[in-house]
Amino acid sequence: MLRSYLPALVFLLLGGVVGLAFALLNHRLGPHRRVAHKQDPYECGLPSEVRRGFRFGISFYLVAMLFILFDIEVIFLYPVAVRVRAFGAFALYETIVFIVLLAVAFVYVWRRGALEWR
Amino acid sequence: MSVALAAARLHGPHIDWGGLSPILALLGGAVVVLLVGLAPRREVRRLVASGLALVAFAAALGCTIWQWDASKSIVSGALRVDDLALAVNLILVSAGAATVLLSWRARASGEAGHGEFYALVLTSTAGMSVLVAAQNTVSLFLGIELLSIPLYVLCATELHRSPSLESGLKYLVIGSVGSATLLYGLAMIYGATGSTDFDAIASAIASGGLASDPLLLTGIALVVVGLAFKSSVAPFHQWTPDVYEGAPTPITTFMAVATKAAALGIFLRFFDVALVSAQVSWAPALAALATISIVVGNVGALGQSSLKRLLAYSAVAQAGYLLAGVVVSTRAGARATVFYLAVYLLMNLAAFAVVVARERETGLGDDIAAVEGLGASRPWLAWPMTIAMLSLAGIPATAGFVGKLFLIQASADGGYTWLGVVIVVGSMVSLAYYLRVVAAMWMRPGPSLGATEAASPYPAIAGGSPEADPDAIGTSTPAAPPAGDGGPGAGAREGFQPEVVGLALAAGAATVFFGIVPSPLVDLARAAGNSLLGLF
Amino acid sequence: MNIGWYLAVSALVFCIGAAGVLTRRNPVVILLCLELMLNAGNLALIGFARMWGNSQGQVFAMIVMVVAACEVTIGLGLIVAIYRRRLPIDVDELRELQG
Repeated sequence: MLRSYLPALVFLLLGGVVGLAFALLNHRLGPHRRVAHKQDPYECGLPSEVRRGFRFGISFYLVAMLFILFDIEVIFLYPVAVRVRAFGAFALYETIVFIVLLAVAFVYVWRRGALEWR
Repeated sequence: MSVALAAARLHGPHIDWGGLSPILALLGGAVVVLLVGLAPRREVRRLVASGLALVAFAAALGCTIWQWDASKSIVSGALRVDDLALAVNLILVSAGAATVLLSWRARASGEAGHGEFYALVLTSTAGMSVLVAAQNTVSLFLGIELLSIPLYVLCATELHRSPSLESGLKYLVIGSVGSATLLYGLAMIYGATGSTDFDAIASAIASGGLASDPLLLTGIALVVVGLAFKSSVAPFHQWTPDVYEGAPTPITTFMAVATKAAALGIFLRFFDVALVSAQVSWAPALAALATISIVVGNVGALGQSSLKRLLAYSAVAQAGYLLAGVVVSTRAGARATVFYLAVYLLMNLAAFAVVVARERETGLGDDIAAVEGLGASRPWLAWPMTIAMLSLAGIPATAGFVGKLFLIQASADGGYTWLGVVIVVGSMVSLAYYLRVVAAMWMRPGPSLGATEAASPYPAIAGGSPEADPDAIGTSTPAAPPAGDGGPGAGAREGFQPEVVGLALAAGAATVFFGIVPSPLVDLARAAGNSLLGLF
Repeated sequence: MNIGWYLAVSALVFCIGAAGVLTRRNPVVILLCLELMLNAGNLALIGFARMWGNSQGQVFAMIVMVVAACEVTIGLGLIVAIYRRRLPIDVDELRELQG
């Protein structure tokens, strides 16, 4: 029973040994040059704009909240999808009613200007 | 089975539109009112939104009366339409309509946007309707959340006033702890009985001998705690005074009256239908909670100088009285609770309407000083308040006396005579603080005019709030003229408020009327009590 | 697998959530802990649904998920509103209302 785990153990050990060996060799044999860019968090791409004490803006929270709401609503469509054959056309009506209600909420959010990024 | 399936494929499940109609009226009204809130002109928003909200409440009232004497399960057994649900629905819808009237000139509705404000009131009422009709634990939880979540927002609608925001967050955190506890309890009851349906739970407990099953008892205990949080039963009441004080006064009225009715309604249905065969296990615990509530509420109210805090502690004590009718789990107990809920609506509407009116007239907030000398200066406001206070204390010839009498009688007949004695003693203690308010109105001189002129009603006004309706900010300067028909939010110093005074007078008059001629309410309560079929 | 293990995990999660609500002061963390409490209920419901072999618990859990999302949204909205008023974002400093 336990023997079946032996290959996995060997694999783990080999992986560890090979990885460590390459890292050590690189450290020993590779050239070392100190450049300012080496100290950056990322060596490529644009320098990071994020400073300490940075806060997310209000708009971010607003959009995040709306996203949570509209995102989770899809959960109600799953049971309909699972049992769609049992209900036939009724499932379609129910889904349409549900989507229309969501659309009302969407129109409200949109017209109140909650989707504008300030 | 196959025939039923084929029928379902062709026509879908049968939908009982009549049974659903009160809830549909409320929710449809909420959608329409929300969209009216997008209208470009402020006056249109204010008038049409509140008018349509009243229409929706009237429609729901009509549908409720239309369905009277129904006894059926709808939405595949999720909801039950019977006289208990319909009677409590009458109370809820009246409370909602009264809230719309009280909010007519409130700052809160203007700041939050009229459409949102009234839509939230309608949604919350719909949640309460679902709750009192709930016949399985899923719709119970759904109803409780549908009533609570709009209330969290409504508490925080006075955006310029930090106590309002604070009360909203406080209510959210504590209310959600209550909901989570309730949910865990419901999960345990489902685990013990294997069903979410009330009747199936009842038969599983009765046939399986589960009355002392530890899983079930843990579940019941957690459900009691969760519902006690919602109905502000001590020792889970600590949020009540803070939230009542911080919330806008019309919303406090709504919370005090409607939430209590809905929570007690589900107490009656869940404990007297689903858990009725485990009564020996939960009745002593509920009786103890009722006693603690009566003691804590009445003692806590003694030292309060804010009228809203005083009424909050009084609400805690009254929740204790109301629980007595649930504890005994007899039809007489259910009748007494429903009767007292109806009376409770009238008494509290009268009291809170006067608080709302004085808040806007004097600028003294809800301090007891705001009603000093009211008897001489504004007898039309002093009388409803006096009647409400005497009725809450249970003085004869008021409806509160009759209600308490029924509760005491039900507890004595149900084998809980000592609980009846506690109610009597609690009422005697409560006289001390209710009479203090009455004395302040009739025996003290009114606040001098100069003092009220100097007191700025809302010191925190300056600056407004960034997210308030842009046009509501303009009216928040204290110098707003007390215009004849009063713009929204000009509520700082309102002269004449016919709808608030009228509501107070009507509620006060009804309190006296039903104290002398209680038979209409007794009929209502009897029908409600008799619809709990498992009781005697 | 025995239902007891599922129950034990869910009870543990519920207690962690309750302890967090009682001891933490940052409202965002309190919201997280409330979610923990609700999800502990979900775990128990789904475990029991498996045990009884009916789907009622699963339907219940699905509704709870939506409710939990609504609650956290309202909570975030209130926190943003309070932040805009420059009130202290620390529930212990919300002291204006006190019994």
